[in-house]
Amino acid sequence: MKSALRAVLAAALLMGGVAAHAAGKTHAVRIEGMKFVPERVEVAAGDTIVWTNRDIVPHTVTAAEAKVESGELQQGKSFKFVARKKGEMPYICRLHPVMQGVVVVK
Amino acid sequence: MRALQFAAGLAAASVFAVASAQDKGPSDPQIAGIVVAANKIDVDAGKIAKSHSKNKEVQQFAQQMITDHTAVNKQASALAKKLNVKPAESDTSKALKSAAKENEANLKKLKGAEFDKAYVNHEVEYHQQVLDAIDKVLIPNAKNAELKGLIEKVRPAIATHLEHAKHIQASLK
Repeated sequence: MKSALRAVLAAALLMGGVAAHAAGKTHAVRIEGMKFVPERVEVAAGDTIVWTNRDIVPHTVTAAEAKVESGELQQGKSFKFVARKKGEMPYICRLHPVMQGVVVVK
Repeated sequence: MRALQFAAGLAAASVFAVASAQDKGPSDPQIAGIVVAANKIDVDAGKIAKSHSKNKEVQQFAQQMITDHTAVNKQASALAKKLNVKPAESDTSKALKSAAKENEANLKKLKGAEFDKAYVNHEVEYHQQVLDAIDKVLIPNAKNAELKGLIEKVRPAIATHLEHAKHIQASLK
């Protein structure tokens, strides 16, 4: 009995979790070793992307065309962005332009 | 002029060889001393380039060196403090500093395109040497895991700087 109750509770929690996520997922991108990890993220419109700098030097998330600019992110700092416009949004680190990434909004 | 640059390059090339020629590798305090000295040297060279160069690409690179190496040193100093490791002098750190003095004296005599070439050539050599030192001397000898981790974390930045410097070097030819 107890275990059945537990299963129902677990299922309810799980479904609640799914419902919460449906409102807009959050995608994490780490900045480390002079790279965006992962370099490509596919998201749905309304999703949030959070970049966190885990590197030893400062970085930025800069998409000039889309007018997205995080400013200099020191180690441990994050930048949040809600993707609205469908399509590809390539971005770079303004300080190290060899670092490139892309957000694909579906 | 070329001979002078070559001589400066040779002097710098021998700097890290001192460490590998020693019977035993540097201690953790000496490694911390080398890391701090190596970063400070490149910040100082970057400051000279910012005030001497008129080339936009060189100026941007110099600013990147100042920003990145300052950030690394801030963390290296914080870690040394946390670990209670007092950065110590070694033959390598002393050789680094004297080679840097020579390079600075050489750079300050130059102007315009001559300056840009000399600065960027030296940055290419310097980052290559630092990268070699990281792989052959600093990482293999670091005993404290956090100190080793810090150096491993710095490596990709140095590798990127080297590629960037090579790219500018090619465009200045």
